[in-house]
Amino acid sequence: MNLDWLDAFLLFGTFQVVMVIGLALLLHLQLGLARIANFGVVGFWAIGAYAFGVLFTKVDWSIGEPWPFLISMLFGTVVAGLAGLLVGWLIADLEIEGVLVGTLGFATVVAILVTTERGLTGGALGMGGLSFPFDIGKTKANELLWFGILFVVVGAIFYYVWRVHRSPYGRLLIAVGDNEPLARSLGKPTFQTKLWLFAIGSAGMGLLGAINGVMVHLLIPEGIGINVTLAAIVGLVLGGTARVWGAVLGVILTVGFFDIVVQSYLPLPRSWYTQAIPVLREMVFGAALIIVLLVRPFGILGDMRRDKLIRSTHRD
Amino acid sequence: MIDVANAPTVTRPQIRIEGAVKSFAGRVVVDIDELVLGDSPIEGLIGPNGAGKTTLMRMIMHSAKLDRGKVTLRRGPEEDVEEVVLSDLPTHRMAGLGVVKSNQVIMDFEKLTIWDSLLLSLAAAKYEHPHRIFSEAPLFEAHAEEAREYLDFFSFADPTGFAQSAGEKKLLDIVRCLLLKPRFLLLDEPTAGLPDELTEKVMEAIRRLASEGTSVVIVEHDLNVIWSISDEVHFMAEGNIILRGPPQTIRENRTVVEKYLGEGHV
Repeated sequence: MNLDWLDAFLLFGTFQVVMVIGLALLLHLQLGLARIANFGVVGFWAIGAYAFGVLFTKVDWSIGEPWPFLISMLFGTVVAGLAGLLVGWLIADLEIEGVLVGTLGFATVVAILVTTERGLTGGALGMGGLSFPFDIGKTKANELLWFGILFVVVGAIFYYVWRVHRSPYGRLLIAVGDNEPLARSLGKPTFQTKLWLFAIGSAGMGLLGAINGVMVHLLIPEGIGINVTLAAIVGLVLGGTARVWGAVLGVILTVGFFDIVVQSYLPLPRSWYTQAIPVLREMVFGAALIIVLLVRPFGILGDMRRDKLIRSTHRD
Repeated sequence: MIDVANAPTVTRPQIRIEGAVKSFAGRVVVDIDELVLGDSPIEGLIGPNGAGKTTLMRMIMHSAKLDRGKVTLRRGPEEDVEEVVLSDLPTHRMAGLGVVKSNQVIMDFEKLTIWDSLLLSLAAAKYEHPHRIFSEAPLFEAHAEEAREYLDFFSFADPTGFAQSAGEKKLLDIVRCLLLKPRFLLLDEPTAGLPDELTEKVMEAIRRLASEGTSVVIVEHDLNVIWSISDEVHFMAEGNIILRGPPQTIRENRTVVEKYLGEGHV
């Protein structure tokens, strides 16, 4: 297969955009519907990646591919989900400030553990040996196939989230976020609901982390900074936290615009790339966030419209 | 109108409150030695402002924690009464036991439409699991008829939209409670903010519920509502029930008149 037309930067940039859309969609369920401000996205994402990496590279597998790879992926997802269950249990009944600090603190703990537990994670040197579970020829072809797999996974997440809006579960999440004491008085187990939402969202984030780890081949502590969380949050808030399409649109406009258009196609001086661009990225994201919140507080797509949804789903 | 007094005898659930004390910032708001609610189908609870009526109701629902004492639900047939200690249970378990309370202040889901609110109330836990992303249709099929009955009965203007006025929100709160099929229903000022014709409809719905075996306790400032609907009235003052009896007796009692009604209101 001739893939000369495909720019390696473009492929990598698009991969990042789709991956962050996945994170933003999961965050949408937590923040947009149930109003849980999870600022620890990168923590769950990193746990998924490292749990996958540790099992995949450190265990002397006696069974053939693709089983070690698949089992490790599942392991990464489950461990991230369990971390979500634990963190969720600690924060589910806190006020929003507590949730914010708790989740942010959790992400920091993960980053520190990754650096200090050298035996498992390789510490600051990083953890290598993460490879595609297939080899169909050139690097670019393998990457394109892996991108296809990510696309299917994020597509499935999108479909799930879209269905949740049209299901009693989504209604329950909105009720919990909107007026928790009232939901409780109607017999809804709000604590459990938030706990499971946190576990499921975290598991999904962990899976995306593992998928991303395979794409980059090397896990390093610098790769699990707050910028991953920020990309998902800024994208989601910009597009509209309460809308399914908000995550997609917002991430394309922020991460897509910056990581693809600005970094790959604008004639920026070479010397900027190592130091200036990451800082510039955070500045542009921050500015975009402030402008959108001033002009359209509910994001570009605006607030949830249950009345329209109800009319279209239960037409009499 | 339904004749509650002559309705077929059913074993009504009762709530027993024993040694229940609740204080806020050192001030004792409720201090009840023993009280049984649910002897009569519809019981009124009246008393001056600050008597502790709302706090008592919140203690029963365990949305206010008791300093000490115990609240027990007794239900089931005479020969096999089941007792559940409500004050040991989390708030969200109450509805499942059939103990439901409407809210005194307006409580609503701002992001949910009226239809959403009703379906939320009707949805059993099995419909609401995270993996059940296709359960809206079965839920709607099973319960839409029931919801429509209430929507028509109370003639909501636009059920696919949001509750607009304070009255509509108050009414929606009561409808949510009714849809939970309560066995023991506590109503905290259900008619405050409702227009007269809706008050009448709410009372009609409550009478029907009571005639079907639900115990109802109603706190209300509109005494005409209390005198007309209650089979028994509890008079509460300074955190305790100081009188109980048929509406007529309470109405003629000197203490009640002096403390609460004032001359000329009787």
